[in-house]
Amino acid sequence: MNIEEVIEKLKESLGDALLNYEIREYEMGIRRKRKLYEVWAEIDRSAFRKAVETIFSLDYPHLHLISGEDNGGDIIKMIYSFGVFYSNPWGEISITLKFDLPKDSLILPTITDLMPGAETNEREIREMLGIEFEGLKNKRHLFLPDDWPEGKYPWRRDEYGVEDMIKHTHKSVKEIRKKGEGNA
Amino acid sequence: MPKTAYYIPIGPIHPALKEPIRVEAEVEGERIVRVDVKRGFAHRGIEYMGMKRNAIQTLYLSERICGICSISHPYAFVVTAEKALGIEAPPRAQYIRPIIAELERIHSHILWLGVIAHEMGFDSLLFWTWKGREKVLDLLELLTGNRINYSVYMIGGVRRDLKESHIKAIKDAITYYWKFTEQMKEIILSDPVYKARTRGVAQLSKEMALKLNVVGPVARAAGIRMDIRQDMPYDAYADIDVRAVVPQDIVGEAKGDAYDITMVRIYEIEQSLDIIEYCVDNLPEGKILAIPNYPALLAKIRRTKGEAIGAHEAPRGEVVHYLKFDGRDGPSVWKVIAPSYNNINSWAPLLLGAEVADIPIVVAYIDPCMCCNDRVALLKTPEGKVLGYEYIHKKAVEKTRKIEKEVRG
Repeated sequence: MNIEEVIEKLKESLGDALLNYEIREYEMGIRRKRKLYEVWAEIDRSAFRKAVETIFSLDYPHLHLISGEDNGGDIIKMIYSFGVFYSNPWGEISITLKFDLPKDSLILPTITDLMPGAETNEREIREMLGIEFEGLKNKRHLFLPDDWPEGKYPWRRDEYGVEDMIKHTHKSVKEIRKKGEGNA
Repeated sequence: MPKTAYYIPIGPIHPALKEPIRVEAEVEGERIVRVDVKRGFAHRGIEYMGMKRNAIQTLYLSERICGICSISHPYAFVVTAEKALGIEAPPRAQYIRPIIAELERIHSHILWLGVIAHEMGFDSLLFWTWKGREKVLDLLELLTGNRINYSVYMIGGVRRDLKESHIKAIKDAITYYWKFTEQMKEIILSDPVYKARTRGVAQLSKEMALKLNVVGPVARAAGIRMDIRQDMPYDAYADIDVRAVVPQDIVGEAKGDAYDITMVRIYEIEQSLDIIEYCVDNLPEGKILAIPNYPALLAKIRRTKGEAIGAHEAPRGEVVHYLKFDGRDGPSVWKVIAPSYNNINSWAPLLLGAEVADIPIVVAYIDPCMCCNDRVALLKTPEGKVLGYEYIHKKAVEKTRKIEKEVRG
């Protein structure tokens, strides 16, 4: 299956919920140049589960990453990246889904029923960004300690962030000295 | 006696673990009935720090994510950053980068072979394999100045060139390791004790491997032909046509157990030697940095708005980085997925139903890499005074003399 067919499948199953898409080409190699393809799709959050199911219908994917970005506003930008048709030389197509999640309803359906290994990723996103996953069974902290304060999420850049819990990790020595904060 | 379940906590600090992680197992007799894995003892918030620094600082910070495969994260970082910035490293740099990465794969795989031998109590094998690992560490020191944390990569190239004397040293090492790998195959793979201790232990089926999202040698031992160098090639790997090393190509069948993973790792050392040989023989001439002026590079990053996902096949599996540049001279979002992040998923299902003695092997077979944590042991008197080395040594000598006297009567 080539990249156009992947796009066709996504268009077919998502319809208007596929807001925007982009095919990225990267040329690799010195002696012999060949191309790699990536699909970057922006979707509506309501179609997220359907989009994931469509990807699973193409090929059993490999989950590259789940990440999110909070730039301090009212939304969290979510990114899911899957690889399909791997184990073929030059054949892997990376499909990246992007969508906005409003902060007043930070709920997503889990994908652990399709891929049990995604539990690690979902638990990390849950504790780092405060997003609830419907159907996620194990909700214990992954990296953060068990006594981590509730309502604090390290990747958030709003009042739920951790700026007040951090001292000097991101300041240069000069900045610390200038402010005269000593070696607290 | 009533039948009860016992609870065995392993870690975060435990002789079987080189790095801090906790495995909590509930056992009935010798059989494990429930497992829970707790991670995060070495979580240092590196992604958070990276989002506050500039891209060049973050590149060298990424080198500190892992102490063993310290070039894997910078490699994924530069591949991702170059994709996002739309720059390409000069051909010579694209050939030097795989040489360093493959030398590192050799030392990392040999390290693992020693560790797994140690876990099963085969310590003479540990010392013999690690003796062989010294040569590649010395070579890396010659090429980069450091045995670990080489700091040679840069966005758009490498910082150090290869000289004629380096190439001679690399060729010598290749000859040495062809011989050494042959010996390792004979000593490890045909040893009946090693076979008995690893065959059928930590066995992962292909289906389970897919579902648990495992990567690298763990997935390849289960028969999945996945390798970033083959699926999404970059740099010189794009010219070489790397193929994933899977057990079915070597012995006709993939069982996915600890023996298969040993085989995959040993044959990958040979593959690395081939790749290094190709890169050295076909090394293009020319410059090594696309943008040699670092302020200019940072200015370009500041002007760039874009994001990319890049990956590198590290010794333990794929390293995936996501970067977003958004008006800062560093990443505004940086997400790192290391191979052990996915591979640790396999512990709980593999340990269920296994025996207590298999815990170290199951834990070690994926070559877990939490991060390196150094600790110092201090002995204190009940009053809280720290005892000095001389005092402890004197006490030890006294005790030995005392025992000697008792034994001789």
